[in-house]
Order: sequence, then structure tokens, then C-alpha cells
Amino acid sequence: MNVGYTATVLWVLKKDLQTELRSKQTLAMMGLFSVVMTLVFAFGFASDPQTNAKVFPGVLWANVLFVGTLGMGRTFAREQLDGAFTALILSPAERSAILLAKMITNLIIVLGVLLIVIPLLALMLQVDLTEHIGLLAVQIVLGAFGFAVVGTPLAVMATNARFAEVLLPMVVFPLVSPVLIAGVAGTGALLGTTIESDPYPWLKLNLAFDTLYAVGGLYLFERMVIE
Amino acid sequence: MKTFPIFTALAALAIPTAVYFVFNVAPLEVEMGVIQKIFYFHVSSAWLCYLGFILCAGGSLAYLWKRNTRADAFALASAEVGLLFGLIVLTTGPLWARPVWGVYWKWEPRLTSMALMVVIFGAYWMLRTFGGTGEGVRRFASVLGVFGAPNIFFVHFAVKMWRGNHPQVLNINGGGGISPEMRTTLYGVALPALLLLFGLLLRLRYKALIDERTVKAMRRRLARIGVF
Repeated sequence: MNVGYTATVLWVLKKDLQTELRSKQTLAMMGLFSVVMTLVFAFGFASDPQTNAKVFPGVLWANVLFVGTLGMGRTFAREQLDGAFTALILSPAERSAILLAKMITNLIIVLGVLLIVIPLLALMLQVDLTEHIGLLAVQIVLGAFGFAVVGTPLAVMATNARFAEVLLPMVVFPLVSPVLIAGVAGTGALLGTTIESDPYPWLKLNLAFDTLYAVGGLYLFERMVIE
Repeated sequence: MKTFPIFTALAALAIPTAVYFVFNVAPLEVEMGVIQKIFYFHVSSAWLCYLGFILCAGGSLAYLWKRNTRADAFALASAEVGLLFGLIVLTTGPLWARPVWGVYWKWEPRLTSMALMVVIFGAYWMLRTFGGTGEGVRRFASVLGVFGAPNIFFVHFAVKMWRGNHPQVLNINGGGGISPEMRTTLYGVALPALLLLFGLLLRLRYKALIDERTVKAMRRRLARIGVF
């Protein structure tokens, strides 16, 4: 049976989202973790509105980073049981299609959590986001995607290593630092807390990063997993 | 050893020569004085650190394509030596910065990107050291090696944009403030000397890794036929 590339992506995506929606395991875990972290940040940083606006981008992107990492570790958790990963890889489907589907799953789950957490964060730190909501959304989607494109292939590889749960964040954090910098500085520019108030160069940087690593990861994936 | 270690002998000669040139041929920098001498080793090490990481990416790519364990050993050896030179950069930098800038560290683009790069390949090294030696780990590390090298550009670019383009480093690395003798000492003597050292360390480490694997394979074979 020869299934098209897009069809494969959609099938795997549907399967993953369906299982996630049924158990809501990852969503619940990431959501709660994020709320707890937001509280911790609020205890640490909440003060007058100016200071709050200044720390907001950092708090926001630290959230994206941690939530993304938690999600990444779970990407292939289900597949590790009963040799499901081998079955998935051995199926005649294009491997990069499987990876792409996994990247998108990660992105959707992370965005789902952030959709709840960011308003909460804005509420707690009394930052008004309504003015720039469109650009902020673009920033977050690009940032979370950058995280997913680097993290997902590495998460696949990490399942084979010892101390994977410790190694993965250690490996991914420095690699995504450009995304993080672009996110923090870009959001700061939007909120007017930095000297440079133009967020577009940061969006471009993020887009370039996403494109390179998405293409590179998908291209290399065929070489990465040979079971 | 069977043959005369020419490589080792050359490196052993080159380093004192470089030290001689640095202190006796290169002129004393007017403002910074003798502190500036560290720059010859600092800049050379930075180049070699980049070289190590680029070689690591090359070896990793070759491993992903050919599954040649020698390529993998080469990638690991390059990363280790690159990391060593990266640590030299990060040690000599603050030593220079304290008297000249008054602080050990500034969130300046070049410093930050170097630090992040060392962290990336530090993670690579960690993975290789503690992650086990299986095929899966080797592949994981290769992907990391390949992903890490282009990251250098992104990191550099992002950090540069982040801190603005204000000239915060005294421009001793650029074209203007460096005399011909200084240039010759840096690129003609210090860099080649450290390059020899780099090559020597890389070769030794690579050989050691290959030998280690050979011994392991022999052990396994002996165990199979029941000697151990």
C-alpha cells in the first residue's frame, strides 16, 4: 500500500492527537507544571507594573522552554511500549513524514498549553497584551515551532540513550538559545521594554532558524533511525 | 613507538617558538601593555575551537551517511579537542578582560556566543561520556554534532542583535589597531603552533579511541570463544 506523504503526516498526526485527547496525560501534566512555574515566577518577580512588563518576556519564554521540553520527552513515550516505534518505522511510510507529524503534534500540544498559560501569566503580572496580540501570537508559534523542530528529532534519538530525561534538556537548551533570545527580545520589543522597538528582525531570525532546522531535520531523519 | 614522532617533535618546538615571538618580536601594545600578549593564544584558540566543532560536524555527517565508526571516533576526538580550546578561550578571555574592561565578563556578542558553543559541545561530550557507547548514542551524538555547527551562526547572529551593534570590544581583532609584527606573530607563529598542537592532540585522541574500540571488540570475541 502506498500512501502519499501528506496522507501519512495526517494519519500519524490524527493518531497522536486522538490518543492525547483521550488521555489528556501530557496536556494536564504540562498545564499544571506551567501554572506552578508561573506562580513561582510571580512570587519572585511581581512588583510594580514597569518591572512586571520588563520581566514578562523572560517569564513567558522560560515557560515556553520548560513546557516544550516536557512535551518533547513525551513525544515517543507511547511508542516505546510494545515495540510500537519499530512498527511505525518499519511501516512503508516515509520516515520524514512521521517526524513531521510528530513535530506538528508537539507544536499543537505546546500551543494548547500556552493558550491557557499566557493569559494567566498576563493576568498575574498585570501586563496588557491585547494591543499586540497578533504579532505576539506569530512570535509564539514561530518560537514553539523552532523548539519542536530541534527537539523532536533529538527526542527520537534520546530514547536510545541512558539518562535520556536528563540529557535531552541539556542538549536542547543551548541549541534553541537563538529562538529563546529572539523570543525574549522580540516580545520585549513588542511591549516597548527594550530600546529597539522593531520586532520584525527577530521574527525573521526565528523564521530562518525554523526553516533550516525543519528542512535539515527532515532530510537527516532517514539516516537517523535505522532499526 | 616505531617511527620518530615528527609531529610531536614539531609541536614541542613550535610552542616555545611562539612564546618567544609573542614576547620578543611582537611589539608591546601601547595601552594594554603586557596584558595584550594573551591575545595571541586567545585568538588562535578561538579559531581552533571553531575548527574542532566544524570537524566534529563533518565527522558526524560522514558517520550518518557511511556508518563508519572511524568517522564517529574522529567526530568525538574533534569535539573533545575543540572543547579544550574553547575552555582555553573562556579562561584567557576573562583574564584579559579584568584589567582592561574592569570586569571578568560582559554579555558581549562574541563572549556569549563562544560560551553557548562550548555549552553545546559540552553537552555533546557529556552525552558521549555518560550516555553509553551503543549505536543509538552514536547516532544521537552525530545528529547533535551536525545540528550544533550551523547553530554557531545563529547563536552569533542572535546574540549580536540582542546586545546591539555597539562596539564594546576594543577592536584589537579587527584590521585597524594591529601592527604588522603583531599580525605575523598571531597568524604566522602562534596560530600555526597551536594548530600543530591541535593536530597532535586530535591524532592521539583519535588513535586512542580506535584502539579502545579494537580492544573491546577483541574482548568480546575472546569472551565468545570462552577464553574469559
